Amino acid sequence: MSFTRAVMAALQERLAGMDPLPPPPPLPEVPFPPSRVFPTPKRRSPYADAAARHTTALVGIGHVGTRYATDVVLQFQAELAVAHAAVGTELPEDWAEKNGLLPLHSRVSSHRQFLLRPDLGRRLDAPSLARLGEKARKGVDIQPILADGLSAVACMGSGLALLNHFTRECEARGYSVGTPMCARYARVWLEDEIGETVGAKVAAILLGERPGLGTGDGLSAYLVYSPKIGRTDGDRNMMSNIHQRGAPPEQAARRLAVLAGAMLDQKTSGVPLNLAGLDLGDAGGGGYRAPQARVRLVSTEASK
Amino acid sequence: MILDRIVPRVLAVRRLPGADPALLTAYGADPSRHAALGLVTVDQDDPTYVALDEATKHAAVDVVFAKSFYAGSAHASGALSGEILGVIAGADMADVDAGLAALIRCLEHDACFYAANEKGTITVFPHVIASLGRYLSAQAGLNVGEAMAYLVAPPMEHTIGLDAALKAASVRAARIFTPPTETNFAAAWLSGDLNACQAAAVAYAAAVVEVGRQAWDLG
Repeated sequence: MSFTRAVMAALQERLAGMDPLPPPPPLPEVPFPPSRVFPTPKRRSPYADAAARHTTALVGIGHVGTRYATDVVLQFQAELAVAHAAVGTELPEDWAEKNGLLPLHSRVSSHRQFLLRPDLGRRLDAPSLARLGEKARKGVDIQPILADGLSAVACMGSGLALLNHFTRECEARGYSVGTPMCARYARVWLEDEIGETVGAKVAAILLGERPGLGTGDGLSAYLVYSPKIGRTDGDRNMMSNIHQRGAPPEQAARRLAVLAGAMLDQKTSGVPLNLAGLDLGDAGGGGYRAPQARVRLVSTEASK
Repeated sequence: MILDRIVPRVLAVRRLPGADPALLTAYGADPSRHAALGLVTVDQDDPTYVALDEATKHAAVDVVFAKSFYAGSAHASGALSGEILGVIAGADMADVDAGLAALIRCLEHDACFYAANEKGTITVFPHVIASLGRYLSAQAGLNVGEAMAYLVAPPMEHTIGLDAALKAASVRAARIFTPPTETNFAAAWLSGDLNACQAAAVAYAAAVVEVGRQAWDLG
């Protein structure tokens, strides 16, 4: 740099340092953002459309930039609300008696306690235990138990249908079936104490399953051979998603009866149970599955 | 930003290898010694005087003509007129070409005005020449090789700045150009050793900036 330029650069630095508040540098011109940053694709993916027609899973829902579209978010929240409502619903005290079932009750005293104390939901209270010993048939092959579980909505919805179909399927196969009963505030392991008390070879508890998005009406069935307190989940076989969009109760009852039969044949259940070669017939569910529309709980301008 | 450089623009450069003797005489050249001319127009006059002097240090050329235009480049007679016409003369074209190269290099990389306020509406030329060439030394009545501070600013700023410069270091005023000059600026040439000239130029520039910030001072 030339002599004078170096001298002036030093003076410039000195003057700038002396200035207590130099004027701000001019801001670069910021262009206005475009009115629509994420244009809607002109054509939806045909694969996504076809896939979305066949499942209620969240596929083919598109995206807006890196996020969900508004109607998808609203639908998600609405389905979550359905699940919350299902968890919050209680089985009425007298529901079992009204439907001709032997009423049982776990040691849980309130719904809140039911959610917070799974251990209490796995044991019968004293009156139920006495009632069970007094009124239930003993020494049966299969003891079906209907229960509320985490979704009383499901229990009241298709619970009776599943119980009746299951009982009929078992009797048709020549097994003796125990007294129909319904347990309130019940967890899966309650079947151990009930089955042990009535001396059943197989205990099958049919109860509302933990609600998922938009499915507050799903039932699960847990089967255990030689039930007694202390059985673990490794000793159980289960079937989930028993509802109209999954396995309908009629079909599920047939599969459960086949499963219970296998337990009686092999005299075991859970991990050691050999499921190969079970004759499920049309209850195998491997055939055609009709398209399933996702139930739209909300509507927006975009979805109309 | 204050004291940012305002680099001069060379608007036109032309060569006259064999100029007419009448022209040579009219522009102050000596036909017996000078045959070739180099002409430049620039939009800043004082950097050009310094650059013309620089040319005499690098080539066997004489500065035969250098005059500022009235009211400066903002009121030029044409797009290529700028603020000054400078003419160097030599015995042959090679000398003139070497002189022109030194002149343009000086304008591009050394001598320039500086902004004395944020908007650049006040400018200052606080230039230090470390070693005078034959042209400015003759103009200033100094010896070749001496240092000189070449100070230019608008009239008010210049007057305050010159006082500050003269008091800042042991310098002597070789020449003072009171306003108005052709371009309506005012100027001064201060003589002293290099350090004194530098101190004078810095004091001058700082004073000009200060006047720009505080035009009114009634005590």
